[in-house]
Amino acid sequence: MAKTGMERLKELEKEIYKCIHCKACRFAYSGEPSREGIGEYTGKQGTVLYEGMVDACPAGIEYGWEAFWNAGKIWIARSILSGDLDFSDEVRDVLMPCITCGQCSAQCDSKIPTVDIIESLRAACNEAGIPMIEKHALVDRLVKELNNPYGGKAEERFKWAKDAGLEKFVDNKDAKIGYYVGCTASYRQVEVAITTAKLFEMLGMNFTLVGDEVCCGSPFFRIGAVDTAQELMNKNLEAFKGLEMVYFSCAGCYRTITIDYPKWMPEGSKLPFKTQHAFELVTRLIQQEKIKFKPNKELKGKIVTYHDPCHTGRHFGIDFEQELIKQSKNLMFDSRKIKEKIDEWFEIPRIILRKLEEDVGIEFREMYRIKLNSMCCGAGGGVRAGYPDFSIRTASLRCDEANAVEADILTTECPFCWRNLTDANELYDHGMKVMGVLQMITEYNLLETLENPTEKDFLALSIRELEEDSKKKK
Amino acid sequence: MSYKLPDEKDLEAMIGIVGKNYATNNKAITASYLSKSVMGLESQIPDIVVRPKYVEEIRKILLYCSAEKIAVSPISAGLSGGFACPTIKPAGVMLDLGRMNRIIEVDTENRYVVVEPGVTIGELWAYMHKNYPEWAPPVPDGAPPASTVMGDAIDRGFSLYTSSVGPQGDNFMCGEIVFPNGDIVRTGSWALPFAKPFYKYGLGPDIWSFLMGSQGALGVMTKVAVKIYPHPKFKTVVVWGMSNPEDMQNLTLEIGKQEFGIAHNTVMVQGGNYPLVMARWPKDKVPHDYEFYKEMGIPQWWMNWECWAQTQEELDYVVNKINKMAEDFKKNRAKDPDGIKPQELHPKQIASRLKKPNKIAVPYAFWEAGFLFITFYTPWNECAHFAEMYCKAMEDRGFPPVMWIASIERCRQAICMPIICFDSTKQSDFEKVQEMNRETTEYALKQGWLNYRPDPYIHAPLTYSQAGMYWKYLRMMKKMFDPNQIMHPGRLALP
Repeated sequence: MAKTGMERLKELEKEIYKCIHCKACRFAYSGEPSREGIGEYTGKQGTVLYEGMVDACPAGIEYGWEAFWNAGKIWIARSILSGDLDFSDEVRDVLMPCITCGQCSAQCDSKIPTVDIIESLRAACNEAGIPMIEKHALVDRLVKELNNPYGGKAEERFKWAKDAGLEKFVDNKDAKIGYYVGCTASYRQVEVAITTAKLFEMLGMNFTLVGDEVCCGSPFFRIGAVDTAQELMNKNLEAFKGLEMVYFSCAGCYRTITIDYPKWMPEGSKLPFKTQHAFELVTRLIQQEKIKFKPNKELKGKIVTYHDPCHTGRHFGIDFEQELIKQSKNLMFDSRKIKEKIDEWFEIPRIILRKLEEDVGIEFREMYRIKLNSMCCGAGGGVRAGYPDFSIRTASLRCDEANAVEADILTTECPFCWRNLTDANELYDHGMKVMGVLQMITEYNLLETLENPTEKDFLALSIRELEEDSKKKK
Repeated sequence: MSYKLPDEKDLEAMIGIVGKNYATNNKAITASYLSKSVMGLESQIPDIVVRPKYVEEIRKILLYCSAEKIAVSPISAGLSGGFACPTIKPAGVMLDLGRMNRIIEVDTENRYVVVEPGVTIGELWAYMHKNYPEWAPPVPDGAPPASTVMGDAIDRGFSLYTSSVGPQGDNFMCGEIVFPNGDIVRTGSWALPFAKPFYKYGLGPDIWSFLMGSQGALGVMTKVAVKIYPHPKFKTVVVWGMSNPEDMQNLTLEIGKQEFGIAHNTVMVQGGNYPLVMARWPKDKVPHDYEFYKEMGIPQWWMNWECWAQTQEELDYVVNKINKMAEDFKKNRAKDPDGIKPQELHPKQIASRLKKPNKIAVPYAFWEAGFLFITFYTPWNECAHFAEMYCKAMEDRGFPPVMWIASIERCRQAICMPIICFDSTKQSDFEKVQEMNRETTEYALKQGWLNYRPDPYIHAPLTYSQAGMYWKYLRMMKKMFDPNQIMHPGRLALP
């Protein structure tokens, strides 16, 4: 029996009561007021000083009131638990604009799992009978009817594969490896699905697109519609059972299936397959010198920057941290290991980008706020659906930051980030190209195979699991 | 005293002053301003929150609330981190001054900056670092970067320079205050229309000093001129370890008592005991036994001297002189000579300690779920007595004996801060903390020790009960500034 939002909130009580309202959580680089940066830049959303601490909570920036910054929400949670405040439309309306990007959690020196708290609050708010905001109610209805929040027909989920000549991979029964495409890449950003599947094909991977794939449930875990999310989870677990490894191109789906599912599955059960993002495979093959990239005249000299999706970046970083805290017997010693693991994790896409710099001739240039301090694109947490104007303004703030480093191409590795950043890029005329890193590799035909990868390569563990695996072997 | 509970009409009046986007009685928003930790455990959800931007708006709000007898509590922008005075009973209107966040003037010749209440120490530090790297403001060490310059001023607290130059309150030259009668007063030399804020004691008796420590109970401070100091490149940290607080106290006093020379170079002098390191981690995730910390090279007690100098030669002189004095103390006067040892710091440790501002004080909630700073001033040569008394009181109640002590004005005063790490989800822990707070305050007052930031229900009443004449004049003077007594009622046990 799954826990209710209120039960989870009560479980998190000690974490909630750790908040001292210091407000460090409103900033990126909250402990580094003297951090060197790129200076002041005036973009489409105003002027930002990219040095030292920078305001980085999108809802706080947009709405200003204390309740919209993270610390305010943690004190709302505390008021709910203590009975000083009841759930109401007013409470819902300050909870829902949070993008659940996790910037606040990354800044917190007491390691408060803020995203878990906010998601539990939202679930408890729903359970208390407070109606969802209209747009969330709509996507909830759509996913219940059609298994995706976009209103796409189930039979058209793999239309992109048929159109791209990749139909043979749909329900490929011989494969041990699955590619979980996700709704955004299936119905909206089909370029992501096509380029990822083509990349797998070029690498010689025998994989399957699972015909019964449904929405991973991410938006519904995020907005507190956990019953809906769990129904979707159960359908996917049934559809993907029997596979050894599932690859992802969507940060949100990857995070949800890897981090959320085990929390919501019956106690003691584990995911029946291994998971990893496609960029982990590409990085590993680069490190093993099995692939390289071809020079490209069109890309040569282009300034390329990278936006860390919250779901593949910070959320995994925070999850590593929380897990290691749980396991640790002496955190004073183990904290260094946590830091090393997080650093290693954030390097994965950067290994690809540096290889592209070396082989193709792009210039990889980092934005000011990166890795754990990366600024969100504004799409997550149900905000793109619920508050589209605010969502796009946030994406435009991120595009400003890319403009500040004179990027020609803003890359990312999540179709949802890509969608939002692309929309902001067009709406506010930021003048860049927005694309996925893997999309760049496929579209510009950059891949050169030096040694054919084997099935063993495709089934190799994600680096996030390597340490755990080596511990087990010891 | 009785106060009016603000209603919709009052909200409309506030909206009329600041605009509809900046005044609200939305219950979720008002609840978000609670803060029951670090500096005090009392906090009440305000009835209305208003976010003014301009001095004139504040003047109108205070005039209105005074006429209507509605309580008003100002906060600068930080809640726990800096000026930690959230609304208490009877609630009323909270003024969130976070939108007043301009750094108005920097004068490097007269060495001050003028800021509004919402300017955080992180922002001011970063601004100076970028634009005036040779100058630095007196930011507190440990208070998080989101706490405010103004908050620290009003608390008269501790900062980067307080060992060298004196109490933090002395770093503030002049201020601008709005009183509930609608008057806007500038203090010190600023009282003259064309004067710079260059002299604190300007026109006779000093009003600014009266406002120090007022916790928002007299008026709303809207501007403050803060001293800035040179920020030389030659800096380091010298640390000596000891086995007991008496040796820590006495060695530090020998250095501070010189007053000139190296006593001025040691800008920040602060120390404590090993639980200061231990309690920054979860209770069940670190060893509690001192032997573990000993192996890591952490002394039972220690003192850090943060040394700033204009040249390497000067810095070397200061470091050598401290070390020589420590050796001499160890040889001739220490209670436990074997316990006195220099602590070698790795360059990364030095860099980390020199970093300002920082979040050093934040993770004490990590130990369990919540913490409280209970801070006292003692004469420096009584700080060991204070530490022993308080550590015992904490241990007796099952709290880790976490103690931090810093020098003010070259060891004229000590600022002593036990950090009570407890589980704030448990009512029994809350009660234990408050019982200890009451007992230790009674003991401290008998010794003549003062609270740094008196809380409204224990420290302030106990303190004023022993200072009746002072209390009488405080009340009379508050009445003069705040005739209907609307400013932060109860905060200083004043109506």
